[in-house]
Amino acid sequence: MNDAATGAEIVRFSHVSKQYPGTLANDDVSLSIRRGEVFALVGENGAGKSTLMNLLYGLQAPTLGDIYIKGEKTGPQHGPESAMRMGVSMVHQHFKLVPSFTVAQNVMLGHEPRRGLFYDGREAEETVRRLSAEYGLKVEPGDVVRDLSVGIQQRVEILKALRTGADVLILDEPTAVLTPQEAEELFEVIRRVVQEKNMTVILITHRLPEVMRVSDRVGVMRRGRLEKVMETRETSEREIASLMVGRDVLFSDLPGGQAAGEERLVIRGLCALSDRGLPALRGMDLTVHAGEVVGVCGVEGNGQTELAECVAGMRPVTGGSVVLCGRDVTGQAPGRIREAGLSYIPEDRISTGVDVKASVAENLIVGKQRTPAFSRLGVHLRRGQVKKYAQELSQAFDIRTSGVDEPAGSLSGGNMQKVVLAREFSFGSPALLVCQPTRGVDIGATEFIHERIVEKRDQGCAVLLISADLDELMRLSDRLVTVFEGRVTGRFRTAEVTREEIGYYMTGGHQDTKEAEAQ
Amino acid sequence: MSGLMQSLRALARLKPAQKLTRDYLVSLLTAVLLALAVGAGIMLVCGHNPIEGYGALIEGALGKPRAIGNTLAKTVTLCLTGLAMSLAAKAGVFNVGGEGQLYLGAMAAAVVGAQVDAPAWLVTLLALLAAMAAGGLYALLPGALKVKWKVDEVITTIMLNSVAIYFCSYLANGPLKTAERGIATGTDSIMAEAAFTPLIKLSNLTTGVFYAAAVALIVWYVMSRSSVGFEMKLTGENDRFARYGGIRTGSLMLWAMVFSGAICGLVGMLEVFGLHKRFLTTVSNEFYFDGMLVAMIMRYSPFGVIVMSFFFAVLSIGSKSMELSAGVSSELILIVQSIIIFFMAAEGGIRKALGERAALRRARAAAGERGRG
Repeated sequence: MNDAATGAEIVRFSHVSKQYPGTLANDDVSLSIRRGEVFALVGENGAGKSTLMNLLYGLQAPTLGDIYIKGEKTGPQHGPESAMRMGVSMVHQHFKLVPSFTVAQNVMLGHEPRRGLFYDGREAEETVRRLSAEYGLKVEPGDVVRDLSVGIQQRVEILKALRTGADVLILDEPTAVLTPQEAEELFEVIRRVVQEKNMTVILITHRLPEVMRVSDRVGVMRRGRLEKVMETRETSEREIASLMVGRDVLFSDLPGGQAAGEERLVIRGLCALSDRGLPALRGMDLTVHAGEVVGVCGVEGNGQTELAECVAGMRPVTGGSVVLCGRDVTGQAPGRIREAGLSYIPEDRISTGVDVKASVAENLIVGKQRTPAFSRLGVHLRRGQVKKYAQELSQAFDIRTSGVDEPAGSLSGGNMQKVVLAREFSFGSPALLVCQPTRGVDIGATEFIHERIVEKRDQGCAVLLISADLDELMRLSDRLVTVFEGRVTGRFRTAEVTREEIGYYMTGGHQDTKEAEAQ
Repeated sequence: MSGLMQSLRALARLKPAQKLTRDYLVSLLTAVLLALAVGAGIMLVCGHNPIEGYGALIEGALGKPRAIGNTLAKTVTLCLTGLAMSLAAKAGVFNVGGEGQLYLGAMAAAVVGAQVDAPAWLVTLLALLAAMAAGGLYALLPGALKVKWKVDEVITTIMLNSVAIYFCSYLANGPLKTAERGIATGTDSIMAEAAFTPLIKLSNLTTGVFYAAAVALIVWYVMSRSSVGFEMKLTGENDRFARYGGIRTGSLMLWAMVFSGAICGLVGMLEVFGLHKRFLTTVSNEFYFDGMLVAMIMRYSPFGVIVMSFFFAVLSIGSKSMELSAGVSSELILIVQSIIIFFMAAEGGIRKALGERAALRRARAAAGERGRG
């Protein structure tokens, strides 16, 4: 697809640097992107890929260096508006849609067709229908956005980006919230706009399989620098991963679990409300045995968060029961449930997993601050012991910090997660609830965290794993359950199931859902 | 001091919770010096000699034993109210109701001191306990509302201030009004032997300072060395995390509020048993708000509060004699205090802007290096 007409340069970064207080997010990046290609920009979290694209889209100004779009240099006044005028559009990770508006209203937002003084709804819907057909993005212009699935909302976002006739479309981690099927459909759209419209798509991602599938070239970023740009077909996932991390990465196969032991965590008919007060769990049933990892997979927002919070005592339970090691802990305080034998790695490190203002040492001993090891008579905090223990623990868990007195907030995502892990594993609890353990964590730390979870399982711990990363679930879990709208839709042995099957059950497992989307 | 009340509102909005870092202390020192410099400028403009002015201020606050006594007494008040504020704020509750708790404590102490017929030491002790109970229980109400129903404690405590102050004022003007002549609005005087005795002649410094010191020490210990203080700190910094870690955040907040109120009640008792020997409607002149200010400027660090209280006490006591002997209006000190608060409120923003500029310079320099190399 790189014929002469399409190979021309469309975007050029020339020695671009971006300095944030304390970090050099982009360090002397020079890059040329061609017309009519899918360019994948990969790197770990914090590698600077989103920053680079924000510079192109004008959300921020580079500290140094120049950016050219179609040969034209972007000025100091460069912003999203001028970017769009020059043909660059961006779809962000977090959608910027008005939930109460229709698809057509959202797509035409800011450029509404008028008849006299009034908004011309029919014309708007017509335009959207035309765009939809043109790009092969199936949407129903009259639908209200908040009723749509995430996959469709993303299509609306893309249509919005394409409406202005973009030549360059930036997609920031577009598959993070999609099911495998939805991701597949997105890839088709990408291929189509590139081949038929001769557009350029820049794909920011850290999922290597999709880089291999869909991109023509791939640029690897690490610590703000552009490490290497390669033709995708001349490289491999392993090579890209090594470049991302800066060393060889071997994702060796993890050993499977032995036969499962007694029931440790039994969840029956669990019901709970979401933050918005709507039913999020509608009678969830789940059992985790000693010595096994049970993975919960589902598209985000189908009750996984609420499930974890109910089990851990962080959210009121409106129905059903949670039995932990033979004790009914339904609706008890988190401290009680912890005593009953649950360690919990929450999905949101920054607001729940750690106290970013407290030191690493303080974070590591939380839950033990009144035990004799750290407290004389439960009154006097033995600060020397706290520090010594924290140093030992950070060594054991390879927490990289300039000192255990540093605030936890100064750590990188991976190291912060290791703090949570180190603390939670140190209780020696018989049951473990793990949520999104490697979200925003670099590949090296991911390996480490996975090994530790498996190690815990081998010691006889019952592990309930909730993750949005299907690869992670397939790799770690002995059994999988799929959830959809607050209920379990399928139960599998990991060895006996395919991704496609799982994807089917993640979307509700009903044939009519698919048909409805196809209309 | 309602001007300070204004700046307090501004500061309260910030709810600072960061640690007292060295950087912050440097900023604070700079702010203090700048504020004093501005004060000097104003003196010059008004035709006074700043050296003379500030000299009179220091002389007035520390020149004579009596002055030192008054300054220390003022320090005690600021320090206890500041610690009361810090204790609650550390656990994430913002007690703006200390003034009311102080009034109720003073009233409770005055009633016990005047009505209870017992050995003097017992009267003192009972008055102390009554004052702390009155202040503590009065703080329990907004505390419980906050913990149970998430009612904003800033609003409720501010409102309850007026309730307590006017209630005490009613008592002092009505049912409990003394029959003594020459006392406009006050209760009967307390048992004379039960009152605190002056430590320095003619000064406000009394044996009450030992109680205050004991309380300050306990508060400091709890906040910075104990297990429960650690739990309070986590609750204040991130209550979701604290709850997840198994800490009973609700009862912790409630207790912090109660003890904060109890300390305020104690301050009221010290005023009654040390200075006025009865409840007067003028028992406090927004003392609690001055203490809050100190606590916020020092980011609720107990040790910092103690030090800063002394500085503010020097300003406050010295300003009066500065007015008398150097002729500089004592309002000048309010300006100086306000400027300190102004700078400290803007501190975060100023620091950030300077940091960004420095980072930019470094980046340019680094790029320059590369260009040459």
